[in-house]
Amino acid sequence: MEIILTALKDSLSLILKLFIIILPLTISYEFLKHKQSQIEKIRFSVFGITHNGLVPLVTGIIIGLTYGAGIIIYSIRTSNINKKEAFLILLFLSVCHAMIEDTLIFVVIGANGFILIAFRFALAIILTYLMYKSKLLKEHTQTDIRS
Amino acid sequence: MKVFVYNSLKRGILNGLSIILVMAKVIVPCYVAIEFIKYFGLIDIISRFFRPFMGWFGLPGEAALGLIAGYLINLYAAIAVLTPLNLSTKDITIMALMLGISHALPVETPVTQKTGVNGWVMLSIRVVFSLISGVLFNLLWKLF
Repeated sequence: MEIILTALKDSLSLILKLFIIILPLTISYEFLKHKQSQIEKIRFSVFGITHNGLVPLVTGIIIGLTYGAGIIIYSIRTSNINKKEAFLILLFLSVCHAMIEDTLIFVVIGANGFILIAFRFALAIILTYLMYKSKLLKEHTQTDIRS
Repeated sequence: MKVFVYNSLKRGILNGLSIILVMAKVIVPCYVAIEFIKYFGLIDIISRFFRPFMGWFGLPGEAALGLIAGYLINLYAAIAVLTPLNLSTKDITIMALMLGISHALPVETPVTQKTGVNGWVMLSIRVVFSLISGVLFNLLWKLF
């Protein structure tokens, strides 16, 4: 019985700590949503990812795949993003997503946030660049189109 | 402007509350479960079983529980499992890196699939790179 009580008390204090971190994030996200039209004006192309992919990319990096799913799916389907670019965007996001929330909730329990962010960004950039250059990707996208 | 600020604040707070509710539903049962596992001495058995694998990442055997919880459920479950284990900063950082790349796979794989990219390819990439980055990070940490 005692273990259940301690577990409940400790888990509630953990939830409270996480809530203090998440609340400012969800509030600032609501304010940032209105800047979306300004983001869409930017033009660039790096590693096969163009300005079309900027909205899903930024959404994924900031708020993650679970909560950003709606925006990511919608923007990839509606804008001019081809299979290869969509793959590169998701590849980048698979290593590097929900960078604010994920990092902060692990910092709460003792992780080093700077190392985490630097390592994940570096890994995502290297990986996306290698895939962009490799022949593997061309084969992959071709099989995708056929199926 | 006032209405805009008010509406954004309201939506932000409501979203925050709903996320916390989702988290609480996962964290509380996981936390209770791990306390029981600790209480009955199962941690030692699990830890001994996983020690050889987790050694590659420079992690103690019991950290495997956090890794499994994170892969299959989500990050909140992993945090609920890891917090009572009292791991070091290095261990938590490695876990955070591995779990940050690959987590909540049953939920997030269908999401990636809906964008038109092959879900299985993405799933294997995430798991493989999660494991590779764990090994890599452990080696780098030893170097510096």
